[in-house]
Amino acid sequence: MKLDWSILWGDAGLLILQGLLVTLQLSAWVLALAFVLGLAFGTLRWIGLSVAEPVCWFYVEFARNTPPVVQILFWYFSASYLLPGWLFLQLRDFGYEFGAAVAALAIYHGAFIAEVVRAGLNSVPKGQFDGARALGLGFGQSLRRIIMPQALRITIPPLVNESVAIIKNTSLAMAIGVTELTYQYKHIDIFDFRGVEALAAVTVIYMMLCTLAAGLGHLLSLRLSRHMTARRGLRPMLTSE
Amino acid sequence: MQFERVWTAANWERLLVGDLFNKGVMGGLLLTLVLGLASIVAATLLGAGIGVMRSSPRRALSLPSAVYVQAFRSVPLLILIFWAYFFPPALGLQVSKFTSVLIALTLFTAAYIGEIVHGGIRSVASGHIEAARALGMDPLETQLRIVLPQAFFNMLPALTGRYVVSIKNTSLAFLIGLADLTEIGKQIGARLMTAPIEVYITLLMIYFIVNRGLSLLMRLLEDRRRFNRIFLRI
Repeated sequence: MKLDWSILWGDAGLLILQGLLVTLQLSAWVLALAFVLGLAFGTLRWIGLSVAEPVCWFYVEFARNTPPVVQILFWYFSASYLLPGWLFLQLRDFGYEFGAAVAALAIYHGAFIAEVVRAGLNSVPKGQFDGARALGLGFGQSLRRIIMPQALRITIPPLVNESVAIIKNTSLAMAIGVTELTYQYKHIDIFDFRGVEALAAVTVIYMMLCTLAAGLGHLLSLRLSRHMTARRGLRPMLTSE
Repeated sequence: MQFERVWTAANWERLLVGDLFNKGVMGGLLLTLVLGLASIVAATLLGAGIGVMRSSPRRALSLPSAVYVQAFRSVPLLILIFWAYFFPPALGLQVSKFTSVLIALTLFTAAYIGEIVHGGIRSVASGHIEAARALGMDPLETQLRIVLPQAFFNMLPALTGRYVVSIKNTSLAFLIGLADLTEIGKQIGARLMTAPIEVYITLLMIYFIVNRGLSLLMRLLEDRRRFNRIFLRI
């Protein structure tokens, strides 16, 4: 087998860089939306409204126990039936693969983040909340200023794992034709017959991205917990990668 | 909703066993389960080895396994599947789709299980190891008879999570053309054309039932007495 690495400095390299850009955009969107979803549902479950509980349970358990790639296919192929016609036609003009992948992955990872957030909130002693309320802080205020900052510290390590998982799971978006890194590898393999070189390049890029994300997260958790004597990590029972 | 179009006897047969009875090709849920369980068993064994190495005080043992864990955890599984499927032919080797997915899934999962085992071993009090050594057990016997059984019990919740992920991850097999549950579902969806919601909800439900079932089964083991009876015969 002869390898020709010089193709990576030509058009194939440009394709891979474009793919990297899409992967980063996808990761950023998914990360942001999954955090919003996770924060909302995690807090909702922590509050423990009996009306909302079945809905939250259904969402979290269903999203966590089904494969992300099937969820991506579901949102992609059902979009034209689920969305109102005018919205779907508008989205289709941009190519709604990207949107479907973002929605599916955000919903999938949001469920895991919800469990992390709930466990984090539960780890703060109940007395903290009662104390805040007794001192005259409102419900939202005590949650935001007393409970959340304490919960945040111990949720950082699992949230970092979740972010790395999000970067890795964006590769599944190739199943519906989002032109991210893994898709570009397939493209180069099919059109230039240079699969091994492209695959090696893509692998190295993923490794660097994940190591970078994990390293940044580690620094963040060190910074946030430097005044604590013992760090308590959380280990959610189900993992997302 | 037109579930009756999806839930025909022929479709159910294909979803559950693929073309096993027509063309003798295993597929559908059966393939997903075979692939999932085979990779779970293989990855647990490999992961136990990696975890034991990782917990060794010798750097020559712990460093390679740490590198392995770090490397395999920072690459998407899909990329590993592509390596396992497209790289061997470049070297002149023939590897079937099933084998390549199995290899990729096993290597990937073993990295995570290695970390779980490492954590489990650290959770065993060092007095147990010292006592075993004092009673004349050699290091291997200490690991096999004292450390690992206790570690295994502590690892159960994390392992359950990993096993569920393995079952979910078998769904990537369809991307290299293996007729697993997802691929069969996609084919049924493509044939019916106008019922994607029903088809994919059916798929999601099957995966949900399998994974919840697996979680509940594993939870049975989290009872100490039952665990001891099954694994330690006491």
